[in-house]
Amino acid sequence: MVDLDWLLHPVASGALSRLREALRLSPRTVRNLRTEFRRSALAKLGVGLIVCALLVAAFAPALAPHNPTNQNLNDNQLPPLGFDRQTTNTTSKMVNGSIEIVNETSWVNSTGEHPLGTDSLGRDMLSRTIYGARTSLIVGVIGTGIAALFGVTVGLLAGYYSGRIDDALMRSADVMLAFPSLVLAVALVGLIGTASVRVPDPFVRAGLTPNMPETFTLPGTVIIVVGLVNWVWFARVARSEALSVRSEEYIKAARAVGASDRHIVTRHVLPNSITPIIVLATIQVAAIILLESALAFLGFSGTTLSWGFDIAQGRQYLSSSWWIATIPGVAIVLTVVGINLVGDWLRDALDPGIEGEGGGP
Amino acid sequence: MAGRDLLRVEGLSTRFFTEEGQINAVEDVSFTLREGEVFGIVGESGSGKSVTALSLVDLVESPGRVTAGEVRYRDADLAASVRDRHPDAVDGEFVDLRRVPERVRRSLRGPSFSMIFQDPMSSFNPSVTVGEQIAEAVEVQRRASANPRSTRSRTQGYGLGRLLADTVLPTRSYVSGESRERAVELLEQVGIPDPADRADEYPHQFSGGMLQRAMVAQALAGEPDVLVADEPTTALDVTIQAQILNLLDDLQAEAGMSILLITHNLGVIARTCDRVGVMYAGEVVERGSLTAVFDNPVHPYTQGLLGSIPDLADPAPRLQPIEGSVPDLVDAEMDDRCYFADRCPKAMTECLDKPPEFAVDGDDEHAAMCVLADHDFIESEALRPDYFESPLEGADVDAAESETDD
Amino acid sequence: MTTVSLGRFLLKRAVQGVFVIWGVVTVVFLLRFITPGDPVTFIAPLDASQELRRRIAAELGLNRPIYVQYLDYLAGLLQGDMGYSYISNTEASARVFARLPATVELAVAATVVAVALSIPLGVVSATRRHEPVDYGATLFSLVGISTPNFWLGIMLVLLLAVQFGLFPTSQRGTGFLPAVAGTVGQFDPGLVVRLAVELRGEALLAYLGKLPLVTWLAHITLPAVTLGTYFTALITRLTRSGMLDELGKSYIRASRAKGLPESLVRYKHALRNTLAPVITVVGLQLGTLIGGAVITEAVFAWPGLGTELIRAINLRDWPLIQGSLIVIGAGFVVVNTLVDALQAYLDPRVVAD
Ligand code: SF4
Repeated sequence: MVDLDWLLHPVASGALSRLREALRLSPRTVRNLRTEFRRSALAKLGVGLIVCALLVAAFAPALAPHNPTNQNLNDNQLPPLGFDRQTTNTTSKMVNGSIEIVNETSWVNSTGEHPLGTDSLGRDMLSRTIYGARTSLIVGVIGTGIAALFGVTVGLLAGYYSGRIDDALMRSADVMLAFPSLVLAVALVGLIGTASVRVPDPFVRAGLTPNMPETFTLPGTVIIVVGLVNWVWFARVARSEALSVRSEEYIKAARAVGASDRHIVTRHVLPNSITPIIVLATIQVAAIILLESALAFLGFSGTTLSWGFDIAQGRQYLSSSWWIATIPGVAIVLTVVGINLVGDWLRDALDPGIEGEGGGP
Repeated sequence: MAGRDLLRVEGLSTRFFTEEGQINAVEDVSFTLREGEVFGIVGESGSGKSVTALSLVDLVESPGRVTAGEVRYRDADLAASVRDRHPDAVDGEFVDLRRVPERVRRSLRGPSFSMIFQDPMSSFNPSVTVGEQIAEAVEVQRRASANPRSTRSRTQGYGLGRLLADTVLPTRSYVSGESRERAVELLEQVGIPDPADRADEYPHQFSGGMLQRAMVAQALAGEPDVLVADEPTTALDVTIQAQILNLLDDLQAEAGMSILLITHNLGVIARTCDRVGVMYAGEVVERGSLTAVFDNPVHPYTQGLLGSIPDLADPAPRLQPIEGSVPDLVDAEMDDRCYFADRCPKAMTECLDKPPEFAVDGDDEHAAMCVLADHDFIESEALRPDYFESPLEGADVDAAESETDD
Repeated sequence: MTTVSLGRFLLKRAVQGVFVIWGVVTVVFLLRFITPGDPVTFIAPLDASQELRRRIAAELGLNRPIYVQYLDYLAGLLQGDMGYSYISNTEASARVFARLPATVELAVAATVVAVALSIPLGVVSATRRHEPVDYGATLFSLVGISTPNFWLGIMLVLLLAVQFGLFPTSQRGTGFLPAVAGTVGQFDPGLVVRLAVELRGEALLAYLGKLPLVTWLAHITLPAVTLGTYFTALITRLTRSGMLDELGKSYIRASRAKGLPESLVRYKHALRNTLAPVITVVGLQLGTLIGGAVITEAVFAWPGLGTELIRAINLRDWPLIQGSLIVIGAGFVVVNTLVDALQAYLDPRVVAD
């Protein structure tokens, strides 16, 4: 009776093309978006920040001045431009037959070579920060995609069929919610291990940027895990939308004329739920970027080109080289502020009626 | 019936400063309210009648502001107490409420003015019991009258700590036991059965009619001189409407207060009011005694309204829409003409200049803001019917969303 | 709302909570079977023989069928037994509960910081719209919800601990209760007065600085601020938008019309109604607080459940992993149920629905 087949094979059944169809926004929505954008300086700032982050991530090999993984121990811990620093080397010398501790002070000048300085192994901070944007955004977007696909499917299923299926799914959602997403993610990544996928970099392949890393490392476990620990939010929103839509007259009418469940859900229920899902997805990208950085900070990541990883590195050199931990954090804040601003813009313009859902560390 | 003047409103203007531009919701409105009478203000929604009511009790909210005019209220005690500090506000026993500090105006809410609103369900806090909310209104006055006027504190002996505790926990430390008893009495007075039990119920447990009675009880808590009733029956069933109107009649007879009744329902006006003002596009376009205005309407708008009432005794019929709609009162789009001209069947060339208010037939009470009060319709001067529909003045659909009146 | 229906509502919630906790236990138990790696590999010496491995597995009961192990584990839990730590050979429950107070203390401190700052800030921001304080609060809450708390913690350490030496960089002093007891025991008001009268400021500060309560405060301030900032920002945002919403409603106008002073209108009516939905969202976000605690502990070497969990994960110390996860999950469920109760108390409509 219950036609579940399509939900389990969304790609095969063409649900994705339906989704594309559903994403075609109504003229009214587009107008709201435009008015709100014109009115709000913050929305413009947010879009600007995100566009910058996307461009930086996409053209990382072209933008980075150095190979972010190249070590140069002679030039380690160079300060950023304008922050010349004094270092104190402590050495011991034999003076008059006894050992004396001698402090030698010298200046390290920042150079244009490394505008944001270098880390403890002499790697260029600017290049690392640029490449970090790739990791963050890829994990954020793909992770959100996984969470949305899974969560929306479960939520629509629960909300549309209600009854037992609903109860079972929502109880399992309750159990999921009992685990903070960071705790669950740490446990899963820690226990499963950090598998990663190496993707050849098109720029290097095309011979445009020969000095850059040939492959880009995608933290595979992390991407899947951050998606899986955040599906519940999507399930909740999709379910409540489906619940409210299913009692509408036109749904009843469609059912009365014999439309299949699959047709009704993809043609009517999903398009009606799409606005809150878009808003939620935006916020979730921010939450997942924060989650990824936290995982990387704790050492549960499949890549070393991650802002969180660099913060963890820099933390050990806090008293001598403040910038190593500081710069990647600023990058995270700017990116996440941008996404949150866009989220606010969408929320104000689309008025999806959800508030404050989704989590961040 | 006609007592002394209690309230003289002169040249009252209220504007809203919105992103779409300045909206002249109330424009140069004048009327008087006498002791013990019911004055009705009638008009379509969007005509500015509710904003007029809110302006009187100084409850217009941002981005709205009362920008001009006088609201003179007769209260000898008040006049004596503010005379020293605000001599320009006092004129005999009258005090211009627009020229005294907000603190003073606020102190009049409750004991002098009180208000009932259109939708009882949204006018009560949903998470506080009805009895508690009425008792609050009693308590405010109890605390205020325990102090001399100059320092009227309504929170005496109720410090920040207890306020915070009240915020987090639904304790009841602001309201005293006596106030609570008085609230039950008030509920009984407005005809609510089992008042003691119902006082402990929440608004959602009340029916609309019962809740409107409760709101009346709440408005009576301060024993006001003026009761402003903003569409008190609109949200209710017809039978319940009659009950509420009867209740207001009875209470007025008992307490001798004055009522300013705002409604779009001519039946309600005909049934309750002594005098009436007709509002259109933020202006009072015709005013006078009920009989004068209803028997001898001069303004074509009033005539249009009345045309829809076959029988004055029947309260049911509502305003029959006159063709067209109220302009949106955006300042930039208002020409200096009779605002009704675009809907008026008798519009003439001279109506393109703003007509003054003319007395009708030498009756100094009955006045209309229309050239027809001065002379008869002149056929040859008539504007052609499509005068306002020329493409240059095409209606802007988007701007129609800027409603100022609920 | 009658007491009976409130009671029934809470009972229902409690029963639901028990079922969710059961689900939590089951999921945590199954975690061992769905993640790769045999626990024995981590315990046995690298050159252990097959025979030795089998003996270890048998000793730990790992060779029994899953359902037997499951029932056994459930039975143990009901008696407060989470098994023995593989690594340190102590009772897992003892370790978990020894670490729990530090985490609870941190979470409570952060919540106190967050609530104390955010609600007034949100209210002021809403009532003084478009004034500098509103813009400031909006900016703060935007940046606050966008900042990773571990980085914030590091920055606080960098500025306030490393640069200015105002706070210790890490570690926890004594617990709160011992600190209070110690302070009460050794505090000498006479000495304080004498030092103050003699204007010996440095001696006075030195004396006060050594009081256990002050040490406690010095240690917990940075972690609590680190963990609390996200919540402060979140609640500020929610309070602001909620207050703006409530202040625009008709009943507020009606309250003003009946002569209520503005303080009562704002706080007793508008703020109270704002708090109910704020509490719902905060309840939903409690997980974030606990997750944040895990990472804050890592930043400040705070000896709580989070550091224990990460250590246990790295060592595959299953009884400890399971114990910590169950306590975290169950703790969340319990606190969330309490939040529901609070909300029902604040808003009678919750029970009615
Ligand atoms: S002034 Fe002219 S247009 Fe206006 S109502 Fe009178 S007749 Fe009609």
